[in-house]
Amino acid sequence: MKQIPCKDILLFKSCLVSVEYPGIESSTRYLFDQLGIEYLVDERQSCCTGLGHYYDLFDQFSTTALAARNLAIARETGHKNMAVMCATCYAILKKACQTLEENKEIRDKINNIFEGSGMGQFSYQRGDFDSRSNIFHVAEILYNQKDKISNLSRIDLSSFKMASHHACHYCKAHYADTLGDVRDPQVIDTIIRSCGAQSLEWYDHQRLTCGAGFRQRFTNKDLSLSVTAEKLLSLKEKDVEVLVHMCPNCQMQFDRYQPTIEKILDTEFDIVHLNISQLVALASGADPYRVVGVQTHTVPVEPFLKKLDIDVDLRQKNLERSLVDEERSLVDEERSLVDDGRD
Amino acid sequence: MKTLKMEKNVLELAESINQDLKASKDMGLLKCGQCGMCTSTCPAARHSDYDPREMVKRVLEGDEEVLRDDIIWNCFYCYTCHSVCPVNNSPCLIIQILRQKSIDDGAGLEKVASFLAYGDSFLEFGIGSIPHDFFDNLLEDFGDGWLDLKLNLDDIRGELGLEGYVLPEKALCEIKDILEKTGFKERLDRIRRFKNEANTM
Amino acid sequence: MKSRALKFPSKSDVNIGVFLCRCGGNISDTVDIERLKSSIDAAVVEDFENLCSVKCKKNIRDYIIEKNLDRVVVAACSPTTHKKTFQSYMNPLNPYLLEMANIREQCSWVHSDGEKSTDKALSLTRAAMERVKHAQPLTPIFRKTKKSAAVIGGGISGITAALSLANQGIKTCLIEQKPTIGGNMVKIGKIFSPEKLAEECSMCLLNPLINEVVRHKKIRLLTNTRVKKAERKGGNFNLILEKKAGYIKEDRCTSCGNCVEVCPVNVLDDWNEGLMMRKAIYKPFPQAVPDVYTIDGEHCLKCGKCQEVCKMGAIDFSMKAEVIPINVGSVIIATGHRGFDLARRPEYGYNRFENVVTQMELARIMGVNGPTKGKLFRPSDGRIPHRVVMVQCAGSRDDKPDGKRYCSKICCMVALKHASIIRDHYPDTEVIICYTDMRTAGMYENYFKYGQSKGIRLIRGRPGEVTKKGDNLVVRVEDTLLRETMEIETDMVVLSEAIEPSKGTVELSKILNVGLTEDLFVKEKHSKIKPVNTDVEGVYVCGTAQGPKDITDSISQANAAASKVSELMNGGLEIEPMVAEVYSARCKMCGTCIDVCKYKAIFMDDEQIYIDPLACNACGACISSCKNQAIEVKGQTDDQIFGIISGMLKDKRDDEIRILAFLDGVGYVAADNIGINKIPYPESVRIIKITSINRLMPKHILHAFKEGADGIFLGEYPDNVMYASIQEKLQEFKKKLLENGIESRRLMFYKVYTPYFRGLAAKFVEFHSEILSLNESLDHSFYTPCVPES
Repeated sequence: MKQIPCKDILLFKSCLVSVEYPGIESSTRYLFDQLGIEYLVDERQSCCTGLGHYYDLFDQFSTTALAARNLAIARETGHKNMAVMCATCYAILKKACQTLEENKEIRDKINNIFEGSGMGQFSYQRGDFDSRSNIFHVAEILYNQKDKISNLSRIDLSSFKMASHHACHYCKAHYADTLGDVRDPQVIDTIIRSCGAQSLEWYDHQRLTCGAGFRQRFTNKDLSLSVTAEKLLSLKEKDVEVLVHMCPNCQMQFDRYQPTIEKILDTEFDIVHLNISQLVALASGADPYRVVGVQTHTVPVEPFLKKLDIDVDLRQKNLERSLVDEERSLVDEERSLVDDGRD
Repeated sequence: MKTLKMEKNVLELAESINQDLKASKDMGLLKCGQCGMCTSTCPAARHSDYDPREMVKRVLEGDEEVLRDDIIWNCFYCYTCHSVCPVNNSPCLIIQILRQKSIDDGAGLEKVASFLAYGDSFLEFGIGSIPHDFFDNLLEDFGDGWLDLKLNLDDIRGELGLEGYVLPEKALCEIKDILEKTGFKERLDRIRRFKNEANTM
Repeated sequence: MKSRALKFPSKSDVNIGVFLCRCGGNISDTVDIERLKSSIDAAVVEDFENLCSVKCKKNIRDYIIEKNLDRVVVAACSPTTHKKTFQSYMNPLNPYLLEMANIREQCSWVHSDGEKSTDKALSLTRAAMERVKHAQPLTPIFRKTKKSAAVIGGGISGITAALSLANQGIKTCLIEQKPTIGGNMVKIGKIFSPEKLAEECSMCLLNPLINEVVRHKKIRLLTNTRVKKAERKGGNFNLILEKKAGYIKEDRCTSCGNCVEVCPVNVLDDWNEGLMMRKAIYKPFPQAVPDVYTIDGEHCLKCGKCQEVCKMGAIDFSMKAEVIPINVGSVIIATGHRGFDLARRPEYGYNRFENVVTQMELARIMGVNGPTKGKLFRPSDGRIPHRVVMVQCAGSRDDKPDGKRYCSKICCMVALKHASIIRDHYPDTEVIICYTDMRTAGMYENYFKYGQSKGIRLIRGRPGEVTKKGDNLVVRVEDTLLRETMEIETDMVVLSEAIEPSKGTVELSKILNVGLTEDLFVKEKHSKIKPVNTDVEGVYVCGTAQGPKDITDSISQANAAASKVSELMNGGLEIEPMVAEVYSARCKMCGTCIDVCKYKAIFMDDEQIYIDPLACNACGACISSCKNQAIEVKGQTDDQIFGIISGMLKDKRDDEIRILAFLDGVGYVAADNIGINKIPYPESVRIIKITSINRLMPKHILHAFKEGADGIFLGEYPDNVMYASIQEKLQEFKKKLLENGIESRRLMFYKVYTPYFRGLAAKFVEFHSEILSLNESLDHSFYTPCVPES
């Protein structure tokens, strides 16, 4: 099995995490801090092109060139272990890294572009990265910390039935690098169990895609939703309450479309969708609104939080408290001025 | 009845796919035994006329018409076929390559035209965006909560302790420069010309 | 550098006769025989039109006697063609005092320039003369092996091999780790045969053989026994066996079965694939041989209840595991296969759904001595299934991680057999076989048609998933002929599991140091001409330990293995004497050579190192490893190698390029093939045949450069067990060249294959021009590779 790092990590920003579920990033950072994992986020890093790539809009060469630039940033900052929050970033970076390693012609062409435009610092040299041992999914890093995670767990999740949705572009695209069995990875399931919850051993259509299918969601909506619906029905049959994700695109497909599918099928799915980082952060007591970011979800997470005895009015209280804090700090300031005067 | 002509190299298409940058190393395209395992696990095959096994068969028969067949646009890129194929073939990668060929050929331009805005956004901000053409549809499905998110994103990110996600100016220049030199900008322009022509027609 | 090897004893006083063959113009049309003849300085130099014709035999012999010759050089065709012929002309001289210069295949047939080819023919002949000066008289080695053998594994292959050996008078020890012999064949109940359109009872066929094993005076049967250690000694093997404590005195047990009644322990019955329970004291099946009960030490509580009821006093809990050492002349591996672990294909639901079973489980379900006494049932509720869907290639023909790349060969026939039995006895049960290709090669095609005529349904498609919907199982598959994805509802699924090597096969191979294939089957020495030999001389393989095969083929292979053992023991073997030998006076017994030799030819016995000539391939790797220069390969001594190198480079002109090409046996034949096909290459190339690059040492390479070689070409067939050390060797050579200021590009390595002689010729051309450009880049007049004086 491959070695999973716990330091020198570049936490790779994802476009869909940033704009749809920023709570995934804040949860991941929160957990990395809790677990003592050393990481960096670099503002210069560009998006991986993944969505555009699989919309067929991007060509492989441009995608690879941009990846080379992002890899160079990781190299320059001494954080060569890329940890991604999105399965598409994972597949894109691995493929680009393999191409840069193995295809001299493409590597030279890309390096020529860099050197010809005063960006020689981005040139890729063979041996700079190893797609297997430098590119990881955050879920793998959490998997590696599963024992620490069970110690972090503060909330009793034992009565909940959860299931995993291992993103296709994590487990299938580069199957030789997948942790565990490609056909049944158990990465998320193991972490779920470390949090004290139950995870389904297997369910029908477990391996099925979320249905987003990149362009399918937009241009073939019926086809796309019929796949999503099929998986949701199978989960409903097993009374799953939480579906745990590792990719913002899958999460979007399920979370954003679930109400639509409920209408089409005239049925109800009581299924909440959480990213694995969000779930672990929640289990370890993180604030649902300030860390986990449940406020960006379409299927309300609040009923689930209630079952966990978490105060769902927290967001409001947070806001109020921050106002109070502000006042208090003003008061403190005045007081300290007074104190200073005493000396 | 079909005649298999003597002089035709049926494997030309398959060979060009094998050599494509997107193809995986040692892709088993020529080893395909038409077992149908890809199709039996394919979500698009379950819910549409798409059949990955047949796509591979057509490629192996040198059927260039496949580039102009709408059916190739049904694949989800879920890589399930890729992960189970007993001979390490990958219908999923083959379709990605076919679509690129179709775009190069012109036939596929209409399929990517509606995604143009993603590319424009990438050139400008170093990050893609949801293509405008579909925004209204999404809003209809996702509801107002989603619109609120879009409108208050910066505040919510602030609430979560996250900084802005916009890249610094220098990085944006670099990305733009790179994408011009890789030919991506020209690619977008070609798609744009096609789209404008289609709209004016 | 050690100088010993560079000093040759003066052999100028030996009388050498040189005989040149014109080969009916084949040689003389290109090579100027007259000039060649006049340029050679020897006791006798004669030329003949056809040296291989019988009348020349007398001519040569007359010269040997008249001129009192000590050594003979024949400059003619390739030694591959006629060396044996010319050796037979040597009487009264020892046949190994002959050397051949290959001036046809490697000279006149590949060069057209008369001048240059005559020069080359001269240097080839002189090299042979230099080499033959150091030749030693040798005698072929004759070997007999101890007339006893061990057969490991008591399935149909092991039983067959043991019986064949015993019937040929060879004392045989049949070793089985389970309590009973019969292996998989006895479990499967019914068997198919190539010529029969009926399923035969496996027990009925096997029982007489098993009884014969038990009765045979030459067979010692050891059950519950494993090989723990193996050591090669001389041509023989010392095996250390361990017999598990069975707690039963076999000679006392009458197999009455009273003990079973009282045993309180229930465990899953592995002989019945865990489909039913058995006691801790048990006999796997009624007809088991040896016909005694056995105690499963892992689960037994040692409560003593069985002891109380055993009237014979056959149960003894004080019994300990027994260590049994045996010494045998040969070993046959017959350790068989096991079924693929279907947990590795979770999508087929084997571990999730009770009614998803393997073909072996179905065989047990339908076996008359099985859990249902032969009645077909669904494990979930004991009912007869309405439909049985068989999934072919479950784990076979699968390149994906954990899959088996190969076809397991028997599954199509196994599925047809079971389908046929089901259709015969349960006509209301439908059988569907989902297949990729039905592989019923040869006579089995008849059986396929026979099955089809019983109404077995075939769907061409490889299923992707087995799942459950409501009460039914569902098989997801594409009917590729209809181009239709479908879900087949069924109440029983049978997975045709792949065959993989048994754990014992892999373990035993490690113990015996026998090579395995990538798929972990025992690797045969050559799949065509040595199908039952392993890479360790004296160890043979048969049955499914060597690869997937049916019972028919297993039996044939078992008989073949037995007759190979018998060949060794009854006939004895005459072995070419050109093998490695240890000079005990110099040997410091460090044992380094033992580790180096992957042929396992070297062993230590009674404080001395021995090399088994039967196992030695004369590759010479041991020589390089020996710090005390205590090993030599006969016929390939340092003197001979230095001699031929010097001879090849003698009288080199300033403007001339000479390349020495050291080729192994395969490479040499490939080079001859270049000649036979008359493909030209530069005259600069002079070929020297060696057993392996492993024989060469840096001193030889440096010597060649010192004597004026411009380049050295090394060619070896890569598919041999010593290939890894060749790679190390090349690194060592390059390092030495660097140290001595010689451009490392002057040394080239190429993998040779007999049929790819054109590639070899092209490489010669390429290397020549590389050397040419290297020479040109140097100032011509200054070109003298710097080699330290030794």
